[in-house]
Amino acid sequence: MPPVIDSETCIKCSKCVEICSEDVFYGSKKGEVPTVTYPRECVHFNGCVSVCPVPGAIRLRIPLPMQLVYREAEPTS
Amino acid sequence: MIEERMETDVLCIGGGIAGLMAAIRAAEAGASVVVAEKGNVEYSGCGRMGNDHFETHIPEVHGPDREAWIEELLRTAKGEILIGKDLLRTQFLRAYDIVKLWDDWGIPMKYKGRWEFSGHSFPGRPMTHVKYEGRFQKKILAKEARKRGVTIFNRVMMRDLVCNGSRVIGAVGTHTREDKLFVFEAKAVVLGTGKCSRLYPPLTPGWLSNDPHGGSQSGDGRAMAYRAGAMLQNLEMPQRHIGPKYFTRFGQATWVGVVKDRDGRPAGTFVTKPDRRYGDMICEVNKLAPEQYTNAGKGPLYMDCTDIRDEDHAYMMHWMENEGYTAMTEYMAAEGISFKKHPIEFATYPLRGGGLIVADENAKTSMDGLYAAGDEAFGDISAAATFGYISGENAAAYIRVIGKKNIEKDNPVITETRRLIDELRGHENGPDWEETSVALQQTMSDYGGKIRNAALLKQGLQHLRRIRSKARNTLMAKNPHETTRCLEVLNLMELGELTFLMALNRKETRGLHNRPDYPFTDPTLNQAQVIRKIEDKAILDWKPY
Ligand SMILES: Cc1cc2nc3c(=O)[nH]c(=O)nc-3n(C[C@H](O)[C@H](O)[C@H](O)COP(=O)(O)OP(=O)(O)OC[C@H]3O[C@@H](n4cnc5c(N)ncnc54)[C@H](O)[C@@H]3O)c2cc1C
Repeated sequence: MPPVIDSETCIKCSKCVEICSEDVFYGSKKGEVPTVTYPRECVHFNGCVSVCPVPGAIRLRIPLPMQLVYREAEPTS
Repeated sequence: MIEERMETDVLCIGGGIAGLMAAIRAAEAGASVVVAEKGNVEYSGCGRMGNDHFETHIPEVHGPDREAWIEELLRTAKGEILIGKDLLRTQFLRAYDIVKLWDDWGIPMKYKGRWEFSGHSFPGRPMTHVKYEGRFQKKILAKEARKRGVTIFNRVMMRDLVCNGSRVIGAVGTHTREDKLFVFEAKAVVLGTGKCSRLYPPLTPGWLSNDPHGGSQSGDGRAMAYRAGAMLQNLEMPQRHIGPKYFTRFGQATWVGVVKDRDGRPAGTFVTKPDRRYGDMICEVNKLAPEQYTNAGKGPLYMDCTDIRDEDHAYMMHWMENEGYTAMTEYMAAEGISFKKHPIEFATYPLRGGGLIVADENAKTSMDGLYAAGDEAFGDISAAATFGYISGENAAAYIRVIGKKNIEKDNPVITETRRLIDELRGHENGPDWEETSVALQQTMSDYGGKIRNAALLKQGLQHLRRIRSKARNTLMAKNPHETTRCLEVLNLMELGELTFLMALNRKETRGLHNRPDYPFTDPTLNQAQVIRKIEDKAILDWKPY
C-alpha cells in the first residue's frame, strides 16, 4: 500500500511524517522508521517522496484502482 | 481533554495560499496573527506540490483595457463560477501587484526572464494566465509569514466559530494527533479552508482518496460559517472537472496535446496538433465531453500528446513538475508510459460540492469580524492569493477599531465541541468515518446528483437526515486522527442537507443542476440562492450577483 518505505535505507529523520497533509503516518515516533498507519488515505501527491533525503527510501505504490488508462502505440504501417 | 487557550488579533483558519496570504498581510499591518492548519502549512492544500497558472491582467502585455480582458476571461472556465463582476474587478486591480510580490519573495513568476502566457486561452485571443514555477510556493509563503511574526499551529483542525451576537470572537478546534482542545480568542477570523470536495463519490467508488483536491478539504469553513450564522451561496450548483483517468489530477491546461476520439478525430475545434501556447481548450469549454462520448457510444476520449515536438515535451514536463504532477510522471516513467507514445484517456470527474461563503470585495462575510478567501469564497491561485491578501488587510484594519471580547469558560460552542469529541471517542461498535462517508456519498449521488426532481430530493433529504442522526450518535473515533476525519464527515453531512434544501428550492434547470421536473432555465432566477441559519432554521433567499 502507498507509500512504501525501505527500512534498510530509511534514516528515520521523520521528514515524511512531518509534512504529510493526510497524516497517513499517524502514530509514527521520532527516531523510528515511520509506520504507514492509514495507507488508504494517501492522496498520492508525492510530498513524502520529495522531502526524503535518501533517494529511494520512500516511494509511492500507485494502487490498482488509480492506474492510468492509455492506448498502446499502434505499429505504423 | 486538556484545553489550550490563546489570544490573537487575527486567526487564520487553514494555511493554504489564501490563509497564508491573509496572515502575511495582517501581520504586516501590525496585527498579531495565528494560523491554524489541519496539516502542515508547507505541504497542505491544493498548492501543496505546486501550481503553474496565475491569472492576471498585465497592463504592459494586455494594454490598459482591463474590462475587455475580464470579458475574455469569462469565456474560459472562469465563466462557470457564479460570482459578481465587481469581485473580478477587485481581483484584477490587485492581482498583478501580488504577482510582483511573489516574484520578489522567490516564487519565479517569469520564465526565461519574461512573462510567459500559455494555457487556459483560445487561439488568437488575449491570453489570461501567466505561467509560474509554483513548486515551492507553500514553503516560501510559510517562510514569509514566519518572517513577519505569524505563529503557525500545524495539525490543528478548527471545528466551530465562537460568536457574540453577530460578531465572531474566536474559534474552537482540536489537535489531530493529541487529545487537546484549542480555543483561540480572536478579534477577527479569516476562513481559508478550501473547497468542499468529498460530498459526492470519487471517480473510483469507495476509494475515498482518489480525489484531485486531496482529502482535507471537506468544507469545514462553510459548515462552521453556517453554524455561526453566516450566509452561504449556491450549494446546489455542483461542479465537475476533467483530467486523466483513473489517476485524478487537476491541471488540464498544463497538458500539451489534443483531445481525440478512438479514431484520432479531435473532439474540439481549437487545435489539431499539440500546441504549447494553448493546450486544448475543449477541456475548458466542455468538461463533460468524455462522459458524453461514452454515453453516445463514441468513447473513450484521449488526451493525445503523441505528435508533440521534443522541445515542447521538455516544456510540458517542466511545467508538470511545477503543477504537482511528479507522482504521476514518476509512476509513468517506472511503467514505461510515455506522453510521446501513448494517448492517455481523459475522464469527466464526478460531481463535487459547489457554492461558497458569501464575501464582498473586502473579503468580508455577512458577519462582523469574519472574512473568507480562496476556494471557500471563490478560488484558483490568483483569487486565493489576492483575496487572501485583501482579507488580511481588512481584518487588520477591523481589529484596530474593535475591542477584545473574552470567551467565557463555559461558552456553549466550546462545551458542545468538547462533548462531541468525547462522544466520538467513547462510542463502540458504531460506524467509522469511512463507512459514514460512503453512506453520505451514495445518498448525494443517487438523490441529489446528476438528475434531480422534487421527489428524489425530498427522499434524499429524509434519508440523509436519518443517517446523519445515526452517525452523530454512533460514529466512532479510535484516536485523534480519526476524530478529525469524523468531524469532517459530520460537516459534510450538514452541507449535504443544505444542498438538498437549496436544490429543492431552485425550481429550474441550470448548469449541472438538472431538474427534469423544471426542464427550463428560469431567467428570473439568474441570481444567487443564499442560505443562512436564523434561530436554528435554515432560511433561503435570492440575491443578485
Ligand atoms: C493539483 C492542482 C493543480 C492546480 N493548478 C492550478 C493552477 O495552475 N492555477 C490555478 O489558478 N489554480 C490551480 N488549482 C486550484 C488552486 O490550487 C486552488 O484554487 C487554490 O490553491 C486554493 O487555495 P486556498 O488557500 O483557498 O485553499 P486550499 O489550498 O485548499 O487550502 C485550504 C487549507 O485549509 C486547511 N483546512 C481545511 N479545513 C481546515 C480546518 N477545519 N482547520 C484547519 N485547517 C483546515 C487545509 O488543510 C488546507 O491547507 C489547482 C489545484 C490542484 C489540486
